Order: sequence, then C-alpha cells, then structure tokens
Amino acid sequence: MPEIRLKNITKKFGKFLAVDNLNLNINDREFVTLLGPSGCGKTTTLRMIAGLETPTEGEIWIDNKLVFSSEQGIDVSPDKRDVGFLFQNYALWPHMTVYKNIAFGLENLKWKKDKVEERVIELLQMLKIEEFSGRYPSELSGGQQQRVAIARTLATGPKVLFMDEPLSNLDAKLRMEMRTELKRLHVETDSTFVYVTHDQLEAMTLSSKICMLKEGLLQQFDPPLEVYHNPGNAFVADFVGSPNINLLEVTGNNTNLDEVLLNCKELELMYTPVSSSLTVQENQKLLLGIRPEDITIEEGGKLKGIVYSTLPSGMETIVKIDFNGIILTSVVFRGTDFQVGKEIAVNFHENRYILFDAENGKNMGQGELSAL
Amino acid sequence: MNLRNRFKSFIRKPHNIILVTMAVVLVYLTVIPLFTIIMDTFKVHSSELMRIKGSQVGDLTLYHWKQVLFNPANSGKIFYEPFMNTMGISAGTCLFAILVGGLFAWLVTRTDIRYKNLISTLFIFPYIMPSWTLAMAWLNFFKNDLVGGVPGFFTSLTGISTPDWFAYGPFPIVIVLGMHYAPFAYILIGGILRNMDANLEEAALILKANRFKIMWKVTIPIVLPAMLSTFLLVFSSAMSAFAVPAFLGTPVRYQVLTTQMFRTLNGLNPGYGYLMALIMILIGVFILAMNQKIIGKRRSYTTITGKSSNISLIRLKAIRTPLSVLLMAMILLVCILPLVSFAVESFIMEPGNYSLTNFTTQFWIGSGSPQIANGEPGIFRNSSIYTGFFNSVKLSVLVAFIAGTLGILAGYAIVKRKNSRLSTAVNNLAFFPYLMPSMAFGAIYLSMFAARRGFIPPLYGSFALLVLIGAVKYLPFASRSGVSAMHQLSNEIEEAGTIMGISWFKRMTKIIIPIQKTSFLSGYLLPFISCMRELSLFILLVTPSTRILTTMLFQYNEKGWNQYANAINLMIVGIVVLSNVIVNKVTGASVDKGIGG
Repeated sequence: MPEIRLKNITKKFGKFLAVDNLNLNINDREFVTLLGPSGCGKTTTLRMIAGLETPTEGEIWIDNKLVFSSEQGIDVSPDKRDVGFLFQNYALWPHMTVYKNIAFGLENLKWKKDKVEERVIELLQMLKIEEFSGRYPSELSGGQQQRVAIARTLATGPKVLFMDEPLSNLDAKLRMEMRTELKRLHVETDSTFVYVTHDQLEAMTLSSKICMLKEGLLQQFDPPLEVYHNPGNAFVADFVGSPNINLLEVTGNNTNLDEVLLNCKELELMYTPVSSSLTVQENQKLLLGIRPEDITIEEGGKLKGIVYSTLPSGMETIVKIDFNGIILTSVVFRGTDFQVGKEIAVNFHENRYILFDAENGKNMGQGELSAL
Repeated sequence: MNLRNRFKSFIRKPHNIILVTMAVVLVYLTVIPLFTIIMDTFKVHSSELMRIKGSQVGDLTLYHWKQVLFNPANSGKIFYEPFMNTMGISAGTCLFAILVGGLFAWLVTRTDIRYKNLISTLFIFPYIMPSWTLAMAWLNFFKNDLVGGVPGFFTSLTGISTPDWFAYGPFPIVIVLGMHYAPFAYILIGGILRNMDANLEEAALILKANRFKIMWKVTIPIVLPAMLSTFLLVFSSAMSAFAVPAFLGTPVRYQVLTTQMFRTLNGLNPGYGYLMALIMILIGVFILAMNQKIIGKRRSYTTITGKSSNISLIRLKAIRTPLSVLLMAMILLVCILPLVSFAVESFIMEPGNYSLTNFTTQFWIGSGSPQIANGEPGIFRNSSIYTGFFNSVKLSVLVAFIAGTLGILAGYAIVKRKNSRLSTAVNNLAFFPYLMPSMAFGAIYLSMFAARRGFIPPLYGSFALLVLIGAVKYLPFASRSGVSAMHQLSNEIEEAGTIMGISWFKRMTKIIIPIQKTSFLSGYLLPFISCMRELSLFILLVTPSTRILTTMLFQYNEKGWNQYANAINLMIVGIVVLSNVIVNKVTGASVDKGIGG
C-alpha cells in the first residue's frame, strides 16, 4: 500500500536552500498537510515527491519503490509514480470542454471509448457537475472549475493525491464547503492525500498529520491537536491557532522543589511542571505560551486587569486584557460582551501552559500556572 | 548528486535538449559570423590587392581601420559623412514616427473620433507594405528632371518642377521612413494607452485637474517608457534601412551607412563595408541594452493595467467630423494612393505622359518587342518573373515555417527554464540577428558559406542559403512572440498533462500550441511578410536561378524600366496585404501582436 518516504531530501535553487535535509514518513491513507509561511519550501517538497521538481540530494520512496535517488541516478518520471496532482489555479485546459478535460488522460491511456464515457460520467456525478459536461472552463465559476480539476485528477484513480493550495482562490464560504468535500473524498477514494497550505485552520481541520516547515527545515510532524497543544517550538506555537497564542517574555528562577517563579515587569507567576521537573538557570529568559482559551475570566479571579478591547463574533468573544501594560488575549465562548475599560479578573485552570527557551525557541515542558 | 546523474536528469527534459541544441546552432549561425566580421576588418580581400601594395589575400592589415576612421583626407567622405547622415535620418524618422503614431494612438484611444476601426486597420498598412513602396510612390509623384527621364505626376499635372531637396535626399527619406515606422509607435503607445488603468486619470479628474494637466502630468509620464522604447526600436530599424535611402538618396549622391556598405561590399573595398557593419552592430547592441533598461523600469508601469477602461472620451465637438475626415484622407493618401500610382505607372507606354492614348497593356501581357526594354516580355508572359514569383513565395513559406516553428520551441524552452543562464543566453542569441544589419549579414553569409565548411557543402548560389539566412534573420520575431505566448501560459497547464503521462509531443500539439495558436501564428506571419518584402538581406546572395521578386524589382529600377518595377511592387504589396488579411480573418492572428513584444 502506498507509503511515502523522504530520506535526506535537499533542494537548492542556485545558492538558495529551499529544502534542507528533510526526512518524512507518510503512511498509507493518511491526510498530511505541509504547513508553513510562504517560501518555507512546502510547495517545492510536494513537487519533488510528485516528480515535477528534481531534488539536489536524497531519496524518495513511494509504495516501497525507489522513485528518486541522487546516489543511484534514479528519477522516475511523474506519470510512472501513479500520483495525481491538483494545482493551485486548477490548470484546466481552456480549449477543451469539461468532459474532454476529464477524458483526455484516460484516452491517452488508450482506454476504450465506452469505458472512458462510463468513468467520466461517474466522476461528474460524484462531484455533482453533470450539467456542465459540455461547457468550457471559462464558462464556469471558481468552485465549479475546482470540482472539474478534482474530477480530472481522480480520473485515472491515482493511489496518492497531491494538492497545492487548491482552495486559496475560492471565497470563504466556498472554501468551507470544499473542505468538507475534500475530507469526504479522502474517505471515499481510500487514498493518501498530501496537501500544501499556508492556512493553519485548513491544516488543523483537514489533516491527520501536520508537517510544519520553516525556511526549508522541518519543525514538527505530528497530528493537529498534538501540534496545537504541544508545539515543538515557539514558532509552531505562534503559527498554529487563531487567535494567536500569547507569548510572554519572562525571566525564570527555580524556587522550592521544582517550581519556577516567572517574572514579567510587575507580574509574578508561579509555574509547576506537570511531567518531569524543570531546571532553569538563574534569571533565564523564557517564553511563556498561553492559549487564549486557557485564560478563564471569572469573578474572584486572582489576577486583575482592565478590558482593552473586545471582538464579539456571536459564537465567541475575543477579549484583550491589559494587566499593567501586559496585554493578553483571551477567548470566551458563547455570546457575551465586556465593556472596554472595566476591571476584570482571570484565573489559570489548565495544566498545559508551555515554557519555551527564549534563545532557541525549544519547548521545555508543560505545566500549571498560578498568579501571585 | 554526482555529475553523471545530474547530466542524466538534465537531458531527460525536452526543454534542455532544445536549449542546448539552439545554443550550439545559434552560436554557429550568429556569433561566428560576428567574429568573421571582426576578422574581415583586419584582412586583405582579393579585390583590395591593388590598393594594399605587396600584400596577399588573407594578410592581416590595419588598412581598413586607418582609411575608414583615421584618414583626414578620406574618412570624411567614406565614413563620417554617411555616418552623420544615418544618425540624422534615424533621429528624424523616430521623431516623425512617434509624433504621427502617437497622435493617432491618442486620438483613437482617448477621443470620440469617428472610423476608429477603419483607422486602426489601415494605419498598420505602411508597415506591412515594403518600405520602398512609399519611396517609389514619392518618386512617381515628385520626381523632377534631375535624374533625366521624365518628371512625376505632380510636375506633369501642374507644370511646377519640384526642388531637389523636396524630391530627393534627407527630407523625403525621413518622411517615407517615418510613415513606414509610424505604425510601430501606434501599436506600442496605443497598447499602453489602452491598457492603462483609467482610474489613474479619473483620480486626477476628481482632484479637479484639467484635461491638459492630466495629459501632461499623468498620461505622458506613463506612456513615456513606451515612447522611449519605440524611439530606440525605430532608431535601430531606420539605421539599417537600405532600400529607401537607395531609392531617394542616390540621385543626389546622398549616402548613408547602408548604401555605402552596399557600394563597398559589392565593389572594391569589402573591408570598409565590414567595418561599417561592425560599427552598426555595436550601435545596435548599445541601443538594445538601453531599451532593456527602460523596459525593465517599464514593468512597474505595466503592472498597473486594470480592468476599468470606461474613461470618458474627450469630445472633439465641432472639429470631430472634419478631423475624422482629415485623418481618413491622410491614411488613404498614404495607403491607397501609392498603389494607384503603381497601377497607373505600369500601364503607361511613355513615362510622364498621362494621356489616354499613351496607356498600354504591353508591360503586363505584351509579348515583348525589341524597341522596349530589350524585348522583355510583359509580366504575365515573363518566365523570369514567374521564377521570381515562385521563388519569393517558396522562400517566404519555408522561412516562415522554419523560423516560426523554431520560435515556438525557443519560446517554450526559454520560459520553461527561465532565470537560468542557459535560457537567458539562448534568448539573447535568438534576438541577436535583429541587430545585424541585413546587408552585412548577407555579406558574411556570402563569405562564410562560399566554401565547404565541415559537413556543410558550399551553399553560395543555392536556394538553401537564402532559406537559412532568412530563417535566422527572422527568428527574433518568432521567438519574441513564442516567449510572450509562453509567458501567458501557466506552467501548471503543462504539468497537469505531464503527471497524467501525456508525452511531450502530445503536450505540445494537443495542449500548448492549440491554446496559444493565435500568438504562435503571428510568429509565422511576421517572418512570412518580412521575407516577402525583404531586399537588402538577399541582394548579395541571389543568383539568376534563385532570383526573387524584390531583387528583380531593384534591378528593373536600376535599369530604369519603371513599368516593370511598378508592376512587381504592386504584386508584392498585393501578396503581403492579402495574406495578412486572410490569416487575420481566418485565425485572428495579426502582425501587430508580433511587434509589441
């Protein structure tokens, strides 16, 4: 069954290092997203796996078959890798009708005419675009074009499907709808999906595993919730989640047994690691990561602040609170609103507040937090 | 990755093979000729033995450089005077072309002038027609008795003899070349005006700027790069024009570099000619470099092209109709009247006499009589004209086919590997022939291919040599339209086919070419038309068996057999215009698409 393995993959464009020594194992039937800001090498990685780009170094295996090796000089052409590719701007052939766009690849494989027709109609129905079969791409809306592109990619029944930001050209509402559709397709087609996006929400909602990249380097490769709650470093923590995680610059000192006293301006917090103990140097610079939903607004809270701004959206309200010059973001679910300038109190009830090393950004551990 | 594997993955890609092949072939066909020219400026040629005493053919010498550039007694007449004339003519031509072309472009895009469609169609005509068409028409109208023979229409009808400065020399050359290249300016400037975001002007309007201020502060700065670009392109084209100065300048011994080159290359001092060719190439390269710099800046302007194009047109009010009629009249004067004059001249027995009894069909269907033109039979009975006609058509079709096809491949490969050194090199190599003055290019090929070179047999006198030089010379047009067509096509369109296992050949023929067929066809059309009307490129290379219409026209004209020259000119214009109209109507491709790039 298709399993994709990348070994020490490096890609250079001239002197620019696009992908740096990437190792990745994608299991069968997974839905993996390559996530990162623009220029992080995610599209290059996808194109290398598909065979559209030649890596500078390394090996790629698909389905236990070596499809690329710089050492052995193996470079299997894209069509022999049994993969499908969905392009960002659909890449529909403008001079062919919808029917012809889907049928062209099959005809090229010398399928019989009635077989081709049967398959095309099946796909048209599956993606609910039967009525457009005679139209040209320019006569379709963006969402319809997207469906045709998906149908064309699925036509030959590839075992692995690559998608390069396929939803970025659609409006917000349509994007939502297509996300549902893609997830359903993943189950229906029973194949492996590799998906490139810079939209963390898309990565969170769609994938079974997120591969987080930055400047060509792998940051973390874990299931979405793991990435969210236990990010490998401050960069990942900051990239994933909306509203953004609060990253507070603090200095830490070990007190008592294994508790750490955190100072930020006048604010003093006591941090208790939940897993192993945590040793910090004296006055070590740290970053404290607090997810907005982990700040609970309640009467009688230990920490008092002033409402700085509120963004109520109906389902939730994002509240920014000013604690003597330190502004933290909090989220309250259900539609409540707060008056700007009013005093408010909060508590920290969870046990998943994260400490990062301020120097290298590394995750040092999770723990509980209480205000002093 | 080791070298062997890198090489293996390199040659697996079709565009790499195309680029490498093209690089090798183009170096051989364009860079080596350049070196040959440089060498030839230091060499003794057989016709120069008498002058350079005690020398042998092939000896190295500084004689040509000294005589052409550093001999106070001779250099002025040989080089500096023609050089200054060339510069003056080119600059004048540019100004005239930009003024006329820019004015028409502005009137058509920004005012409510009438007959817009007709004007845009007809205005391109002077560029499609051979450049000497207007020169011959000028002579037909304004010839005076300086050259002997008979005066033109104007003098015949009014009895007033035109002054020499009006009939010959720089004045008519600038007017004629200027009219010929005005469409160039019209297309480039009009394109910018049409694509310019109207919001820019509307924004100024809302800020209560008046029309004149908008024009001066907004519109002109925006089209300025296009104007400069036009200026440089027209300058380099005008510089290498040969036929027009030859027709209009020779009677008053007004020499420019090209006519001087023709004399020296064809006569006793090929070394002089090569040196002049070299200098012209250098100026051309310099101009191109400047143009590239300006175009580089222009990008920041072209990105502002927007969708809104409903700028309120300037109302010409009372002068609308008179101005429209005036413009139409001018265009008809330039486009249609020359043709009428050719037709009339070709039917006249004794030139200059326009009475009805003097009309004859002798020169079209006569069998030829010994008293007239050495018994040359009429056009339709003249086997050598048939030969020329078929040669011209055959040559143009072959050249267009080769240049156009190579242009598509070049465009494909260049864009596919864009930003790599190899692709930039091929792109520049493919454009280089544009900078070679046609005449010098012909001269070089003459000397390069006179003898056997490697596996290439001696080509002089063969039809293949004409096809070869034509294909190389017009490759720039085709590769430009190929590159711009491929730029408009997203890479993913092809990759979508690659990933499905569609072969390269099928991707080209079933996907890429069908999508961009209009642009690619323009890449075939422009070489065809240019080749059909080309004179200076072929003039040194044709032999009686490979003669083509343009060189025959030149010979008839030199012999003073005006009726034949006029008739042939009419034929050439007819073929060129007709093929353009047919291709345009059937496929939508047109010449102006090719020039813009």
